[in-house]
Amino acid sequence: MFDISKLLDAIKASPYREIVIAAPHTGRITFADIKQGDVVLGRQGQWKEKPGVLLATLEREHNPKPVRAPEKGEISLVHKNLEGQYVEAGTPLVVLRHMLTRDEVQRIILQKALYLFRAPERAKYYLTPEADKKIRAADTHSVTVRDGMELFIMSRMKREAPLNYAGPDGVIYEVYFKYNENMDVGSPLIGVCPKDHLQLVQEMIMRVQTEWTEPS
Amino acid sequence: MNDHKILVANRGEIAMRIMRACHKLGVPFTAVHTAEDAASGHVLLASREGGEKSLFRVSSYHDANELMSVADEAGCTAVHPGYGFFAEDFRFARRVAKRDRTMIFIGPSWKIIRELGDKINTKRLARSLNVPTVPGSDRPIYDEMEAERIAKTIFEFQEQQGLKRPLVLVKASAGGGGMGIEEVYDPDLFRSVYRRIRNYALRQFKDEGVLIEQRVTDFNHLEVQIVSDRTGQNPVHFGTRNCSIQSSGLQKRIEVAPGFASETLEYTFNAKKLLTDIVDYSLAMARKVGYDNVGTWEWIVTRKGEPFLMEVNTRIQVENGVSARIARIKGNDGVDLIAEQIRLGLGQPLGYSQNDIGFEGVCIEYRLIAEDPDNNFTPWVGRIEHFHWEDAPWLTMLTHVSNTKPYEIPIEFDPNLALAIVWGKDISEAKTRGTAFLDSLRLTGRNSAGESLKSNAAFLKANTERILHF
Repeated sequence: MFDISKLLDAIKASPYREIVIAAPHTGRITFADIKQGDVVLGRQGQWKEKPGVLLATLEREHNPKPVRAPEKGEISLVHKNLEGQYVEAGTPLVVLRHMLTRDEVQRIILQKALYLFRAPERAKYYLTPEADKKIRAADTHSVTVRDGMELFIMSRMKREAPLNYAGPDGVIYEVYFKYNENMDVGSPLIGVCPKDHLQLVQEMIMRVQTEWTEPS
Repeated sequence: MNDHKILVANRGEIAMRIMRACHKLGVPFTAVHTAEDAASGHVLLASREGGEKSLFRVSSYHDANELMSVADEAGCTAVHPGYGFFAEDFRFARRVAKRDRTMIFIGPSWKIIRELGDKINTKRLARSLNVPTVPGSDRPIYDEMEAERIAKTIFEFQEQQGLKRPLVLVKASAGGGGMGIEEVYDPDLFRSVYRRIRNYALRQFKDEGVLIEQRVTDFNHLEVQIVSDRTGQNPVHFGTRNCSIQSSGLQKRIEVAPGFASETLEYTFNAKKLLTDIVDYSLAMARKVGYDNVGTWEWIVTRKGEPFLMEVNTRIQVENGVSARIARIKGNDGVDLIAEQIRLGLGQPLGYSQNDIGFEGVCIEYRLIAEDPDNNFTPWVGRIEHFHWEDAPWLTMLTHVSNTKPYEIPIEFDPNLALAIVWGKDISEAKTRGTAFLDSLRLTGRNSAGESLKSNAAFLKANTERILHF
């Protein structure tokens, strides 16, 4: 087993992640009143119901679309030269320096502790209708997986193929893919916790919860 | 014509053909691409030959807002949808024609797309003109009980007809290009197949409508190419095509013009009369609706030589090149149906009549695809390292894949690599040349697991012998 204290220390030494906010589609860009060094908040509230701070507005076909901060962070770059211009999809607009939250640290550490079943090909993945139904009705922990069981549908170019899970028996702890999202080859699809590791994993979560202080 | 600018709302080889046609007509264009397609040939062509504001990166080819916004920014006056994506979407065509800043939709007018896109309506229209149509369900089914009822009647009907192995075809209604189709031989398995297709359709097309159809086995798939100007008064035809050589998933792999070689090959029925009949039926329908651009009438022909109308495709098709290659207008070759589509779409008159159109020779189109024909035509994804063929005056190669540097096949789209169009003065010369082309082809590559590229070249070669035989 790995050393959780060492891993926590390593994360504490550089607890940042750079987030590049790009134009989701084409349109004319107007930046909000933001500048380098400003600290902006992402979505807030118990259910993340409060939107993040407005960074820019992208107008297309008479529809203004707000571009908001996805996470809390300090603005390290604003591409102000694009003000008033028509931008293509994917053009970088703002760069944020984001300090990792407790949940993110927990996910990083969990990725080390869980068995990760990875994407064999670049493709879209879906859970089989049975597993999907269970997860929707309860949560991921409700699905027990066995080696060789049919668990996924892999979709490329609208052609679908069943994919079997391979790895230790256990419960699904995390699902790392979103509906209709392309996953690169080798990226984790699910994190499985073998039954006998469950307690250990929960202890790890406790440690992160107690030791990681969220930036105020 | 020079006052116009065309938005090429598509990708890959068709985008390239549209850009070349624009170039030929002297009409400027604007192309779009997504991030995954940055290395596609259509992007390189647009950046090399397009003028100012001729290339934009968009979030998706499926996003109409994105296309309209680029068209406005680039000052486009018309939109060419190519095939797939928005080509047969009457709502999109209507939006293009009716928005604040109106543009021309290069295709039939939206009312005609709506009329012929609706399969019940097409059948009703066909019947009113005594045009025979394919038996089976003609609207999407959303209800499991109803689906089972229809399947049961189709099974019973086939049993009454004395068919030894009755079968029902279950299709995703919103699907196309042969995807989301399964055959059911056992009535007890119908429900599970129906549910599987319904779930598939919901995931892939966001519409769970399913068509339940009778499958006509042992048939040839023929097409009639119709061309008309905006008056809709004087449609002409550019002959017939035979698209019977398909993958197991019912996708076309080899297309040939003309539809049958009635002069040189033997058929169990009067092939010449059949071709005349389907052309006449198609033209009658086109006249009736006032068809006003290019379109294809698709037919099923049984071994007895009976034609049944399957559907009308209100767009330019992939395989239009074979018809163009054998066609002569007032004795001249070099016919370009995409250029004709643009010219007529922008409002120019046809300028010739059916008597001015002639045909010469036989033309074969091979669809070269990275796929595994031995494994249910599964797409192969990876990196193409070498792609080379020998040029010849009788060969037209349409491809967006680079033949000078490696190309990564994007998984977002079909793994079509190239269309090879081969002409011969008769069927045997066309086949010999087709085989020579396939023999000269060098296509290699590897995927992330280190496996070598799989393509359908051997399948195409093996099936060349069958061409136009029925």
